[in-house]
Order: sequence, then C-alpha cells, then structure tokens
Amino acid sequence: MEFLKKYAFVLLTGIGILAALIIFSLNVPHNREANAIERVALSVLSPIFQPAYRLSGFVEDVWDGYISLVDTHRENLRLRDDIRALNERVREGNELFLANQRLERLLDMKKNIKAPTVGARVIGEDATSWFRTLILNQGASSGIREGMAVIAADGIVGQIVKVSTSTSRVILLTDHASGIAATIQRSRARGVVKGKSEMLCSLEFTTREEDVKVGDAVISSGIGGVFRKGLPIGEVTMVKRGEYGIFQTVTIRPSVNLAHLEEVLIVLGGDNE
Amino acid sequence: MSRGAILLLSGLVLLSIVLQVAVLPVYLRPSFKPDLLLVIMVFMTLRSSFQVGAPLAWLLGMLNDAFSGLYLGLNAAGFLVIFLVMRSLTDRLYADSAVLFVLAVAGVTFASFTLNLLLMVMFTASPGIAYSMVSDIVPRLLVNSFVASLVTLFPGFDCQQEVS
Repeated sequence: MEFLKKYAFVLLTGIGILAALIIFSLNVPHNREANAIERVALSVLSPIFQPAYRLSGFVEDVWDGYISLVDTHRENLRLRDDIRALNERVREGNELFLANQRLERLLDMKKNIKAPTVGARVIGEDATSWFRTLILNQGASSGIREGMAVIAADGIVGQIVKVSTSTSRVILLTDHASGIAATIQRSRARGVVKGKSEMLCSLEFTTREEDVKVGDAVISSGIGGVFRKGLPIGEVTMVKRGEYGIFQTVTIRPSVNLAHLEEVLIVLGGDNE
Repeated sequence: MSRGAILLLSGLVLLSIVLQVAVLPVYLRPSFKPDLLLVIMVFMTLRSSFQVGAPLAWLLGMLNDAFSGLYLGLNAAGFLVIFLVMRSLTDRLYADSAVLFVLAVAGVTFASFTLNLLLMVMFTASPGIAYSMVSDIVPRLLVNSFVASLVTLFPGFDCQQEVS
C-alpha cells in the first residue's frame, strides 16, 4: 500500500498513457472510420460549430473590411498625390517638349541670319485694343535699339518701337502704323505690307497689272534696310481688282501666329547687308 | 489726398496695368479687354477735387500711352479734355450714384474713342485705323460698362466722402 501511495501519480500516468496508446493502436487499422467517441463528439458539437464558424467569418470580414477601408483611404490619398504629381510632370514635360520644338525652329531661323540676334520672350500685350504691340523682356541693356527687326520661326513679327533698360515694345506687322516693303515671291510684284486689322495685313501700292494670286507667298523685299530680303511675311488670301483705280486690293494673312507668339528673335542690325 | 488714398490708388493703377497688359490678353480677345485706367479716371473725376483730378487724369492717360500704341500723349490729352468736360458737369449731378457712374464710364469710353480717332486722323499716318476702332467700339462700351457696374458693388462706393 505504501508503494501504491508513493507511486500512485506515476502509475496512473503510466496507465493513462498506456490506455491512450492501446486506443491509438486499436484504431490504427480503422483510421479512416470514425469511432464511437469521434461520432459522439462530432454529433454533439457540430450544431455549435456551424454558427460559431459563421460568426467567426463575419467577425473576420468586418475586421478585414475595416482594416482594408483604413488602408484604402490611405492608399487613395497616396494615389491621388501620385496622380497629381505625375500629371504635373506630364504637363511640365509637354510644355518643355513644345518649348523645345518652338526654340528649335527659332534656332533654325537664327542660323539663316548672319547678323547677331537676341532671343526674347513676350511678356505683355498692348494695353488697348486699337493698337497691335507686344512687350518683350529684352531692352537697351541687351543692345536693343528702336527700329530693329523682330522675327519668329515662321517669319517677320514687326519692328522695335520703344526701348527701356530691360524691356522693349515691338509694333506688329498687323498694326495700322506698320509698313514693310514686300515682294510676291512667285511673280516678284512689289508693294508695302500695311497692318489692316486684328489678324490681317494688306499689300498696298501694287498696281493692277501686277500678277498676284491667292496663295502666293509674300516675302520681305529688303528695301528699307530693316528686314533682310526673303523673310516670310505671309500668304495672299484675297485679291480684288476693281473696274477703276491704279492699284489692286490684296489681303495677306501673316505667316506668324501673332496671337500665340511666345519667343522671338531681335536682329541687332546689319543683316540686310 | 491722404497717404492711404494715395497708396490705394497707386496699388489699383498698378494692378490695372498688370491686368491689362499681361493677364487679360491671355484670356480675352483684344476687343473685349476693359479699359481699367479709364474706369479709374472716371471714378476720380466724379470724386476728386479739380486740383487733384486734372493732373491725375493726365498722368493716367500718359501711363496708358506708355503701354499702348506709338503715340505718347494721345490718351493723356484725351483724358484731360474728358476730365475738364466732366468736371464742369459733375457739380450739378449726384456723383455718388451707381447708375451715373456706369453711364459716365460708357460716355467717357465713347468720348475717348472719338477724341483718339480725331487726334490720330489729324496728326498721325494710320490709314484704316478708323475701321478697326469703329468695329471695336460696341464691345468696348459694353465691357467698360460691365466693369463699371462691378466697381459699384464694392463696399464704400456710395460713401459721401470726397477724395481731395
């Protein structure tokens, strides 16, 4: 008895382990079939498993949904910032690309001019609507003087009329006070291009007999000493010969898009020689 | 004229020039660009004393000429003549009326157009400018009147104090 008392715990544990091993060994051949204990346990607990599992799933869904929502909100904000930054970069890229194209064309024009030139940007327009002048960001400090020719990639823009230290004003060829000696490139008919209205010019003093047709290119004749011979001025859009009169009426559309002009070249003089 | 009024006027004139030369041309066609300096000149004519208003009208005109066209003094002369004519009339009118201000701006726009046209035809070689100016006058009248009507909405427009 003393022995049993002393080693009761060890004995019981040993018997328990032995019983468990016996049950395990008896079930090894029938491991694919549920025994009585399993069947009872499954039968008793299965009604509880289903709702408990559903509840767990619901809780998981809610939890995951909340966490996802928080993440989605953060992600949304981050993506919005990313999109904004990317859009800004795309816009800047496009702007640089277009500026590059414009400047390349301006550079091509510069290569054709022997005289020294200064590049300038348009920084303002005429304060009133009756005159056609532009304000440029280069002035006397860059060597600009009144009377200098102003050209763009597509042709003649106008002539410098007012100069301050850091800015200058150019009178556009479409201003009523502007006059440029010109030639029709095809027939060599001569005249003076005068400003007519917002976007048009007219070729004055071209006699009725001169050969001028719609679509003819008008270029500078070089007479007057301001603009080099052969610079594009525009294209003839209308020719009208009345029954009487010495001259014909010729309307010209400037080759330079003056409404959207951004960069120009100022010819510092001597190009006509 | 108090220091505050001088500062306010200088700021307004500067803002008007920047708007007219560098901002509005980007968004508006030339015909629909308001003459902000002209509106300021009319306001000053109706509110200021003769001693302040006359040189101010001339200066505003000179400033307009500095940023417009080729002929320095064209608008200056026009503004001064308009100021003198208007000044002789304003004593008999209720100068604080919003309607009068809008009408005055419209009238001065037309008077300025007439004077400029007359001076240019008489003294300059700008053939054909009359056509451009005449085609511009209707939108110019409407836009200037609209801007004048906006000015009347500013708080303190109908105050009785004279800027002197």
